[in-house]
Parts: sequence; C-alpha cells; structure tokens
Amino acid sequence: MAEQSPASNSLDDRLPHDVALASARLILTRWVAGALVILLTAVSARLLRLPLPEGPLLLTGASILIYNAVLSVFAARIREAEPAQQLRRLQRFVVLQVALDWLSMSAFLHLTGGITSPAIPIFVIHMVMVTILLPGISPYVYATLGTGALAVIAGLESTQVVAHYTVIPGLSADLHRDPIYIGAQVSFFGIVAYATVHLVALVMSRVRETERQVTALLQTSQAVSSTLSLPDVLQRLARSAALALQVRRASIRLLDETGENIPMVAAYGLSETYQNKGPVSLSRSPLDREAMAGQTIVVHDAPRDPRIQYPKEVAEEGIGSILVVPITGRSRTLGVLRVYSEQADRFAPADVSFVLAIARQGAVAIENAMAHEALQNAERARALFVRTVTHELRAPVSGAQSLLRVLVRGMTGELTPQQGEILDRVETRLQNLMELIHDLLALAASKTVELQEAPRPIPLQESIQHAVELAAQEAGEKQIRLRLEAPGEAILVRATPDGLGQIFGNLVGNAVKYTPQGGKVDVLVSLRSAGAVVTVTDTGMGIPAEDLPHLWEEFFRAGNARRSGIAGTGLGLSIVQRLVETFEGMISVQSAEAQGTTFTVTLPIAAS
Amino acid sequence: MAKILVIDDDPDMVLASRLSLEGAGHQVLEARTGGEGLKKIKAEKPDLIVLDVMMDTATEGFQLALKLRSREPEAEYAAYSKIPILMLTAIHTTTPLRFGPEQDYLPVDDFVDKPIDPEVLVRKVEALLKKR
Repeated sequence: MAEQSPASNSLDDRLPHDVALASARLILTRWVAGALVILLTAVSARLLRLPLPEGPLLLTGASILIYNAVLSVFAARIREAEPAQQLRRLQRFVVLQVALDWLSMSAFLHLTGGITSPAIPIFVIHMVMVTILLPGISPYVYATLGTGALAVIAGLESTQVVAHYTVIPGLSADLHRDPIYIGAQVSFFGIVAYATVHLVALVMSRVRETERQVTALLQTSQAVSSTLSLPDVLQRLARSAALALQVRRASIRLLDETGENIPMVAAYGLSETYQNKGPVSLSRSPLDREAMAGQTIVVHDAPRDPRIQYPKEVAEEGIGSILVVPITGRSRTLGVLRVYSEQADRFAPADVSFVLAIARQGAVAIENAMAHEALQNAERARALFVRTVTHELRAPVSGAQSLLRVLVRGMTGELTPQQGEILDRVETRLQNLMELIHDLLALAASKTVELQEAPRPIPLQESIQHAVELAAQEAGEKQIRLRLEAPGEAILVRATPDGLGQIFGNLVGNAVKYTPQGGKVDVLVSLRSAGAVVTVTDTGMGIPAEDLPHLWEEFFRAGNARRSGIAGTGLGLSIVQRLVETFEGMISVQSAEAQGTTFTVTLPIAAS
Repeated sequence: MAKILVIDDDPDMVLASRLSLEGAGHQVLEARTGGEGLKKIKAEKPDLIVLDVMMDTATEGFQLALKLRSREPEAEYAAYSKIPILMLTAIHTTTPLRFGPEQDYLPVDDFVDKPIDPEVLVRKVEALLKKR
C-alpha cells in the first residue's frame, strides 16, 4: 500500500455502493430537471408570452429525459456487474453523465439567452453535485469547462455565428454584444464556479476524512475486542493503527514488570532487523519516558532527532517521522503505540488525536486480555496443583490396594471369615477413595484450558459402545436391561477419544449405578439437524427437582443419592458438562424422582 | 517356575507383586530403579520383567523398555531383547502419552493396571511365559 495524504478524497477508497448511490441520486435529479425544463418553457412561452425558442427548448427537455432513461438502464446493468469491475465502470458512467449534462446545460444556456440568460446560476448547482461525486481535480476541470462553455456561447452569439435569443423583453437587444458585460459575466461566473467547487471539495474531504476515521475506529474496536488473546489484541491494534493512518508501519511497546524496560510486543510492517535492534528502556529513551508520562510526541525528523535511542537503525529502516502516543489503561500507562512514516513531517495534529483515540480503545482491549490471561494462569496453576496432589495420593492408595488384594485373595494364607469381612470393608473404602482421586484428576484435566489432545473428528458410536460395554457387567449383576440403539453409519463428532469416553462412561455408568435391580437403561443415538443427539434414559431413583439446578456443581450430590449409600464423589457430572462444552455441545437433564432420569447430549457433527 | 524381575520404586507394589507371583510358584527378584534393573537383567537373565512405567522420572520405565528393545544390531542389550516385558501402569488416564501394545513405539508385551489384582498379574505373566 502506498502512502497517501490523509486528506485524499480519492474515489477509490470509497465503496462501490457509495458511488452507485450518488449516481442514482444524479439520475433522480435529472428526471426533475428535464420535467422542469419542459414545464417552465411551456409556462413562460404560453402564459407569460416570453419570446422563447419554444421548440428547441422542449427538445432539450425531452432529450434530457430520453438520455436519462438510457442512463438508468445502464445503471441497472452496472449493478449486476462483478463487484471487482463495478467501481471502475461506475466512475466512467459518472463521467459520461456529467459530459451529457454539460452538453444539455450549454444548450439550455444558449436557448435561454446565452450571456444574458437568467439560468446561468443553474450551472453552479450542477458543479456542486459534480464536486460531491468526482474525486481530485475533476470538479475543477468541470468548473473550467462550464466557464468555457459560457464564454464560447457568448463569443459565438456576439459575433452572430449563432443566433441570440433575448428572452427578457426589458433587456437591451445589444447587451449580449457588450464586451464589458460579457467579460464581467464570464469572470464573475468563473470566480463563483471555482470558489464553489473549492469550498465544496474542502467540505467533502473533511467529511470523507471524518467518515474514514469513524470507520477506522469502528474497525479497530471490532478487531481488538473480538479476541481475548493478548498477542492477538496487540497485533491487531498495531495493524489497525497503521491502516487507520494510512502508513506502513506501527509498533506497540508495553512496560514490563521491571517498570524500566519497554519491550516491543507487537509490530506491523517493521523489518526483523529493526524489531531486534536492541532493548529500549525508560532511562535511556527520553521519548518513551515522555510518552509513558502521558505525553504524545511527534518526531518530525526521526533520524536526526536527539530523543531517538537508535538513530542509525531508524535511518536504515527508512523512517522519516514517528508519532508516539501513550496507551493509557484504567489506572496506569500500559505502554506506547508508535506509527512510522517514510516521509519526514508526516503527522499533523489531527493524526495525533486520532491515534490517541485508537490507543484508548486498544488500552481497554489490552487490559481485558491481560485480566483474562491472569485468570487462565490462575486456573492452570490450580489444575496443576490438584493434579500433583492427586498423583501423590494415588500412588499410596494404589500400593495399599495392591497389598490388600494379596491378603484378600488368600495368597498369604487363609483368612478367618471375620478377617475377610473386615478386609472387604477396607477394600470398599479404599475403592471409594480411589474413585474420588480419579474424579479429581479428571476434573483437573478438564479444567486445564488446553485439552491434552486437539479435538478431531472421531466416530461417536465407538465411544458409546465402549461405555455401554464397561457398564454391562454391573448391569448384568443387577439384572438391568441395558440397551444401545444407534444408526449403522458412523457419526463423526469433533472431540477427543478420552473426552468422549469420560462423558459417556460417566452418564451410562451413573444410569446403571442409580437404577435398582431389574430396571432399564436405554442409550439412544440419533442424527438430527441440531447435531448428534445421545440420550441416556434410566428407570432409577431420579433427581429431586430442588437438586436439579445444582447438578453440575463440583462435589454436589443429590439428597436421595447421598442417602442411598451408593458411593460417589459428585464430580462426574461437572466433568461431563465441562467436556461437552469444550466440544461445543450441549447437555440437558430431565428427571422425576423415583421414576427415572434422561440426560441428553447434543454434539455438533464434524465436517468430514 | 520362572525367574521374574520386578522393577518398581514403590516398595508396596514390589511386595504385592512378589507375594502374588511367589504364590503362583515363581522366583521373584527386585529392583528399585531403572539402573539397578539393568544390572540385574545382565546378572540374572530373568525370564520376564514386570516394569513400572513411572519411577524417579516420569519416563524411566519407558526409557528402559526402549533400551532393551532397541532394534540397533550392536545395541548394548541386544542379548536381552527377547525377554517379555509386562508393564505396570496407572498412567493411561493421567498423562498425555497414549499406551497400548498396538503402538509400536512403546515396545512392551502387555499391561497390568495399578492397583494390582494378583490373579490378573499371574494370569498375564503366565500367558507371556507360555508365548515365549
């Protein structure tokens, strides 16, 4: 992207639909203009009995309407064109319209009295419209052509090359031949034309600049607030700042925890060499010291400015001027945002306030991302702690269980019935303890933000089949009819095998665990528009209504489950819920106490 | 009767394995570290190794298995590469490494879950000895 002056009002940085809209407005206005020409001619000639060339004027009005009709057909065709070509074609189309209008305006001027025409100011209105529509010097060219048309018509009429119509009866019949009158009219018309075009162009460039700034600010705020990752926020902020100022380079430095160094944390368009030029610290960079104190600084001539810490590198990078603004957070200055230009003296006061506004938006996003990062770190530390602790718990329990089993299986000699019963109880307690440790471990694993594996498309039925097989033994012992119904073709969902195993292992395991002798557990897999839907329905003890809202909480167990004496930790469902959410699915529960419970898991289908 | 080397840093696990295997009539040797294990393998040429996956470092058992099963012809332990290895794991739920005999990057013959069930351990040991 080439650097452009921010005041540029090039048609190119406008959207095709803006130009299309303006062009449509021009066509609409022309219908009115053509109709007015016909109406006014008729009124003036018939009612006021003015000596107008009625026929040619009506013809002019009619031809305006006719070519406008043709133009509106063109306009419709351009709307159907490829977006890529649309802008170029629209621009040519606008030029064509202006040229036709210029011709009809000239004819109208001639027919209404040439240099003595009362309609001369109409030309100025058309010039205003053209200035709004066309970029750069085109409006000035048009002002020249308009003034030229008036001068040529006046010249031709005064030398009687073409006829002159005196339409205002009171005017001297020789006025159009008076060189002073002609000179004065043409000069003042020219002055009015240029002044109008210039003023309108100025206003338009301001309007467009403001529009551009608002758009840039809006885009910045969208870009930086659509992510919570700090590196992304910084990168997008640097890019947005450069694009908004229409320069090629920008960087962000944030004060680190030493309170002294301000390392570059994001760069846009800067060479690797420049990024690695060396450390920048507050004590050695007066520029950053000022910026961190809340000042905005414009370095007009960067390679020769004494405040620059690395003048050689700045010159080598081809940097001419730098704009430095503080990134001010809620309670402190977080760092500095810099934008660089090749040109010396590139940044104006308007740019400063603009970049400050961008930096302020950035500051909010940066602080949000920092808070999010801190939360994640805390969560990760907590999960690691739980994991370490549970590992340490697991080894001794596992050792104790192994030894106990040696005793219980009689490998060290027969036990008395009483000894056997005591050891059975110990084994049950240890088993419960192990389950708790296992669940804690799974919970910690599910809480670490990154899964140990990346989710990938895996067949859903396999995991469910496995979960049902795992529960089959217990179901058999309790004479529970455990049934799985699933479509034959594999349904792929985006998940991890371990995660799916946990989800359905827990749900099917729970269903069997909390269903009494002779009950039923049905696992149903189906493919619906919402995704893959798995329901696990049991005829168990159900969940009391007052406990349903707490079901997903860690360590929560429904009252009837606690009283039942069935071992459980209250962690399973919170792990299940977390995993389902990680895989972008949903889980819901329906239950009636003493009748049964249905869990419904919906997982999005993986695009294969 | 076979000579079985149990390598595990947890004394309770070693004792449980020893009692289970001796109960089935096998001779049991012990080692508490990977290094000690390698020494005993050389000195005693056991018929089977029961190997804990996690000793001092998270991968000590893993490294030892790799060393024994190295496919390099001049490998130091080439003479012992045929000794069956039964791996003790509590690991498939706790580390990102995935284990299983089908994955040939972990060259062991079978797995036993911790806590040890004596009957399962004995059954798996005898199955491996028979296959040898």
